[in-house]
Amino acid sequence: MTPTDEDLVVAFQSGDIPAFDQLVRRWDRKIQGVIYRLVGNHDEARDLSQEAFLKAYRALGTFKKEARFSSWLYQIAINATRDRLRRRRRRTDLSLDDVEEKGESSLRDGAPSALDLIESSDLSRVVDAAMAALPEEQREVVILKEYQGLTFPEIAETLDVPLSTVKTRLYRGLGQLRIRLERQGIRGGAAVPVPSA
Amino acid sequence: MDCEAIRDDMLDVLYGEGGEAAARRLEAHQATCGECRREMAELRRLRADLSHWRLPEPLLARPAAPARSRRLPLALAAAAILILASTAGLGLAGAEVRYDQSGLSVRLGRGTDARALADLERRHREELAALRAELAAVRPPDDRQLLRTVADMIRESESRQDEARLASLRVLQQRAETQRQYDLARMSAGLSYLDGKAGLQAARTTELVGHLLQASQQK
Repeated sequence: MTPTDEDLVVAFQSGDIPAFDQLVRRWDRKIQGVIYRLVGNHDEARDLSQEAFLKAYRALGTFKKEARFSSWLYQIAINATRDRLRRRRRRTDLSLDDVEEKGESSLRDGAPSALDLIESSDLSRVVDAAMAALPEEQREVVILKEYQGLTFPEIAETLDVPLSTVKTRLYRGLGQLRIRLERQGIRGGAAVPVPSA
Repeated sequence: MDCEAIRDDMLDVLYGEGGEAAARRLEAHQATCGECRREMAELRRLRADLSHWRLPEPLLARPAAPARSRRLPLALAAAAILILASTAGLGLAGAEVRYDQSGLSVRLGRGTDARALADLERRHREELAALRAELAAVRPPDDRQLLRTVADMIRESESRQDEARLASLRVLQQRAETQRQYDLARMSAGLSYLDGKAGLQAARTTELVGHLLQASQQK
């Protein structure tokens, strides 16, 4: 029988260090995936993923059994990503012209120009650009729900916010995405009212 | 139930979390609300669009193993280059070099001496074994040592920054002092000038008063 995450945590806390390797193998790609979608840069995602696992390794000894390991790990990864994005914004703020010209999305892998987006039929890149333009807190919820498949309570636990906040952020994020995709000529109607950010 | 209140159920149903109760409430609301019906349909289409956002190939294809970068020593890298170069030469000469589960094997074109072929294969196997041994000896850098090195680098950097800040402060201090002395000199010159003018005026006044006294005495 395959051990659960919590079994592996207990094993690690009892001195079975290789149990952590199993957890890493199990979660590495998912964590890198969520970080990549947040930062939009593969190298940075790999770097941040390693940082998150290192933090998890150091803190796993004090991990409380009542929490879900997955939520705890996502929380570590998202906090590390937030810190990185904050530092990135501070660096970007130093070059105001650059921000005005390119915006945050310029720091993402292969960020398309406006002309690229108009000419490109690659829906993936259009969604990537629309996602990059979302406010950070909405982007986090949309990614955790849409691409990681977390339940609403799991997202609430991961982000340490009430369930109602999760749903509000998701609803607003989806509304923003619809508007942005429509601007790029992607199908979609105008039935959803424009949410306030 | 109004549209705001049904939003939670809409999201629950959209992501399959609400259960039958939420689905029934939403269905009842949508029966009388065309706007929410359209919104739900649009959200479903949006989810279909969002599903096109792909991760880059490296994240999809990479095996899920904890990665740790290792750098080969220079000599080892040189040996690897030599082997690659020799196999490339063989390839150009019409030979076939294969490395699979059974190990390394080399096949040369027709008319090649079988002994030379065996020698070459043996040599490559030995080189490969040596390479493996060296690779096995490579150890990742010690974390504590690495942390110490980084801490030293940070200290050096901070020290350099402190020195630069002190130098800048000294320059500023010198400039301020020079400016102060210049200002004092100008003030002093101005006061002297005023003193001089006042003194002259006083002398003239005294002289004038003297004349007036003499004139009054003569009368």
